[in-house]
Amino acid sequence: MRNARSLLAVCLLEAAIVAWAALPAAGARPGAKPTLIAAVCCAVFGLAKLAASSTAVRATADQDRGLPEGKLFLSAPERMWQQAASALIAVPWPQLLIVAVIGLEALHPPAPWHTAVLGLVLLGYLAALQIAESGARLAMFAVQLPLIAAGIGLAAISVAAAALPASSTGSGSGWLAVLAAVAAILAAALALPV
Amino acid sequence: MNTVAEKTVGLTAGPRRELPITWQLSAHARRLATLAIAGLLFAVITRRAEFAGLAAPALLLLIGYRADRPSAIGAELATGAELMTEGEQGAVLLRLTGLDAAQARVRLRPAPWITGGDAELGADGWYRLPFVPHRWGIRPVGTIDVTMWDRWRLTECWLTVGVPSVTCHPRLAVLDSLVVLSKLPARLGEHTSRHPGEGIEFDGVRDFVPGDRQRRINWPATTRRGTLQLNVFTAERAQNVVVLIDVSTDVGEPGRSSADLAVRAAAGTAMRYLAARDRVAVISFGRKLQWIASATGRRQADRIMNLIMTAGTAAGQPLGGLSALPHSALPPGALVIVFSPLLSLRLVEALRELRERGFAVIVVDVLVAQPSGGAGRNRAITQLARRIWRMEQEAIRFSLRELGIPVVAWDGQAPLDEPLAPYTRRPWLTTEMVNR
Repeated sequence: MRNARSLLAVCLLEAAIVAWAALPAAGARPGAKPTLIAAVCCAVFGLAKLAASSTAVRATADQDRGLPEGKLFLSAPERMWQQAASALIAVPWPQLLIVAVIGLEALHPPAPWHTAVLGLVLLGYLAALQIAESGARLAMFAVQLPLIAAGIGLAAISVAAAALPASSTGSGSGWLAVLAAVAAILAAALALPV
Repeated sequence: MNTVAEKTVGLTAGPRRELPITWQLSAHARRLATLAIAGLLFAVITRRAEFAGLAAPALLLLIGYRADRPSAIGAELATGAELMTEGEQGAVLLRLTGLDAAQARVRLRPAPWITGGDAELGADGWYRLPFVPHRWGIRPVGTIDVTMWDRWRLTECWLTVGVPSVTCHPRLAVLDSLVVLSKLPARLGEHTSRHPGEGIEFDGVRDFVPGDRQRRINWPATTRRGTLQLNVFTAERAQNVVVLIDVSTDVGEPGRSSADLAVRAAAGTAMRYLAARDRVAVISFGRKLQWIASATGRRQADRIMNLIMTAGTAAGQPLGGLSALPHSALPPGALVIVFSPLLSLRLVEALRELRERGFAVIVVDVLVAQPSGGAGRNRAITQLARRIWRMEQEAIRFSLRELGIPVVAWDGQAPLDEPLAPYTRRPWLTTEMVNR
């Protein structure tokens, strides 16, 4: 039951991040559509991989009351299907989904608060995925709360910095904002007593 | 999902052992790193500071990565019980020490015919992993998978601990009432015999003769008849019982096969007769002939269980007639209870031979499986073959009955009292059957 709940949470969060990154549909640069399709594929395969791994654990437990099937020889389609399934399982779909979703967000017109919300939902997705995979409880993240809070604070600062009107119209102001944000993150990382 | 090679360690119950472990970057850490790198990369490419902010929480979470994790942990294994019965719950105990701040998840990966439960961590630091064996035999319990994480879940390692096998005794078939022969050997026991003796079962009265015990005088009868009358009691005797298990053929669904049923019924019968202080011998009719000489008591029960556990597999005499067996394994005048699917013609011949030698033999048929009906084009032929097979089986049973060997069927579910009821109500008159 708990496993089903965490699976559902991962599914909802995947749908939320893909939908959020795809919005607004108007004004997106060329390439947004293929990136969206890639993100959706990554989400679906990632979810299938997660569901397959939890179902495999249950199936093993069910089979344990019987003798091993002892099927020595597989037919060619069965062997191909098994190879395809193992190849799909080997791909790190969540990582690809993260890259695709951030890329999709980058292809949309700048909206700092929109990107910040996407970051928060991505963080929640990673936490839900870890819970679903390891069967741990949400309380496991209690020790990480100060770091998460600091990270969210930094994200808020960077969003605010991005939202401020640039002092000049040249490309240097953008670089400056990015460098400032990275410096702030590094400073926070060094200063935090972990 | 885990691409890291797992390490299998075979532990035996005993003192703490040091097990080396290798930590790997966890999938969670890899995902956090992807988020951080992608965020920073897109921030630089697009020159949008908000992407750097998106990477900030992931980057900060990754600073919890430390290299000073334990390189070895201590593991102690204890098996709750090495002797079990089918369906009985047992537990394996595991204690992990030297984890420091790392967290561990322990899970039993059960072997076939074992059902594992969820691990529980006790207050004493021991993980208790319950399991239930569902089929008799010397069974491997399985392996214990241990997954460990650091407190930030950025690194993880795996360990597989092998659990020793358990000896699982068959579930004893229920048998309350016993088949008792009318003619019992002169050995003190608990069955009421037809001869007068020192038992407690009242048999009648007779005239007092000098030397009789005065406390046995029946005063009401003495008053009525005018002469001293004495109470007479029956003797209490033990009988010799031979339990014959036929495991030469094993047909049917595993767990309910003919060998499973034969073994459960034989174990239940032998234990019940031993509880009644009878002398019990066991003969295993498998690929080899094995036997245990008749005896009584707790040690005999252990010996019988050991034989049953290895029935059909251990070394023994080449399979032949039962005439070669010594008197201790087949005492004259013994009651022979056979548990067999009656598929071995050698056994049928051996039963005929026993009957001809005057043994009281009763066969409990444990064949519950039937050949499948077949499908497709060969269905008609298969059904014909099935009918012929059934007729052959009926012929075997009929021929045994004609010899005076009763054959009763047991389905493995009901108590053995039900099929044996016609023979447990009164002492079994073996002489009549011999003369039939």
